[in-house]
Amino acid sequence: MSGPPIAHAGHWLVNLLYLVPLLVVIGMLAITSMRDRRAEAAEGAGAPAPDPPSSDEP
Amino acid sequence: MSRRRLLAALAVAVGTAVLLPQAAVAHGLVGREDLPIPKWLFGWAATVVLVVSFVGLAVLWPKPRLEQPSERRVVSIPKLLDPVCGAIGVAIFGLVVYAGFAGSQVTATNIAPTFVFVFFWVGIPVLSVIFGDVFKAFNPWRAIARGVAAIASRVRPLPEPMPYPAGLGRWPAAAGILAFAWFELVYPGRGDPSNHAVVALAYAAVQLVGMSLYGVSAWNRNGDAFGVYFGLFARISPLRWERGALHRRMPLSGLTSLDAVPGTVALLSTMIGTTSFDGFSNGPVWGELAPRMTDSLRNIGFSQATALELAFTIGLIVVVSLVAGLYRLGVTGMRNASNIDLSTEQLAARFAHTLVPIAFAYVVAHYFSLLVVQGQALFYLVSDPLGTGADVFGTAQTTIDYTWISATAIWYVQVAALVLGHVAGLVLAHDRALVTFKDTRAATRSQYWMLAVMIAFTSLGLWLLSAANS
Repeated sequence: MSGPPIAHAGHWLVNLLYLVPLLVVIGMLAITSMRDRRAEAAEGAGAPAPDPPSSDEP
Repeated sequence: MSRRRLLAALAVAVGTAVLLPQAAVAHGLVGREDLPIPKWLFGWAATVVLVVSFVGLAVLWPKPRLEQPSERRVVSIPKLLDPVCGAIGVAIFGLVVYAGFAGSQVTATNIAPTFVFVFFWVGIPVLSVIFGDVFKAFNPWRAIARGVAAIASRVRPLPEPMPYPAGLGRWPAAAGILAFAWFELVYPGRGDPSNHAVVALAYAAVQLVGMSLYGVSAWNRNGDAFGVYFGLFARISPLRWERGALHRRMPLSGLTSLDAVPGTVALLSTMIGTTSFDGFSNGPVWGELAPRMTDSLRNIGFSQATALELAFTIGLIVVVSLVAGLYRLGVTGMRNASNIDLSTEQLAARFAHTLVPIAFAYVVAHYFSLLVVQGQALFYLVSDPLGTGADVFGTAQTTIDYTWISATAIWYVQVAALVLGHVAGLVLAHDRALVTFKDTRAATRSQYWMLAVMIAFTSLGLWLLSAANS
């Protein structure tokens, strides 16, 4: 039986290197999505209010 | 996404990719394949390629180009070719089954195992992507069913087949591919030629029953696991065959017309997952995990052999489920990011075709060396298919040349296949997003998650390859 995983820390660290780009991209995309939503919300808040109903409507 | 921010991130990634190899070489971290950079860095470089492709698509691909494919008739084909090809397919099927039963029971000297695992399982997908759905013409079960139906209908009119159940979809094909993968990766008797013959006959029997119940065409489209499997890969091809004509079209465009009936996502997840498990089960992580699982199963009363089979079966199912879960996660993220009025299942089906080039990339990446090295065995096996010392075509004395392609070249082909397959997946997803979401901006934003899924699959593929080769 092989030893505990800590005995192969070098191997595990090399394996984790494959995960780094994915984590970087996910982080980058999450930040970008958040900022996009904030920008959209700000655009929505700054949009002109809809016209009030005219007085001759029943 | 802000273009400036993306460019800055790309610059950092490219800079890292350029600078780190020097440090890596300085530390002597050069692989067995004599690579200039460590293998994990290929994963980083592949990510850069995918991100650049994603940005390029967002900027340069504002309108769908693949969704309404046009094709051009290239040449007319004699209608006689179809039955002739079918007859050849039946003859080859008969030879493989006969060799399995009557030939030598040594794996390497009987044509059945090499034909099934190398030519049929790996070679036909490659041929399908290049030449279109060639298997359909040579499909022995389809040929037998059509032949029997043609003869029987002359004796008396045949009853109409039952309508194929809509809910069944491609589930039989998914089950068939999973069962074959189990035979290839788990079953201890997979090297025994007679077992190949038994499996081939059993599979043929199921196909004939399915075709007699639901009709040749409906069963062939949905239930014939290999027919569906090769047919999916053939949709990547620039060529499309039909009875009487050969058509030319834009590569990948055949995938956009894929009807993602129930079971399609499961089938594609099975295709990617089983190949992934093949790589994973050759790596050190599984090497440590499998004995522990086997011991646990033995402790609850299973024999060593059964425990090992069960451990591999569990591993196979878990990896297929993980692949399905990863895709599902991407689709759920896409749905949440876009607030579209479609369920996750509907969206998963709509983007299912994007998984086909990934499945093909996994096949090439994992089995390329098998195809180019073990595939050479077919040269001597066709002359001596039963392993009895015959020399029908005068090639029985040829041997496998293990040196004609280097390990380094194989690695580069594997990496290129993975990257190209995932870029193709991104292209298809972007094109489909353009017709699914309200504008280009929404389409691009919806694809953030698909980009993450593609990078995850690429990193997984490269990790599996490096682990299997270590």
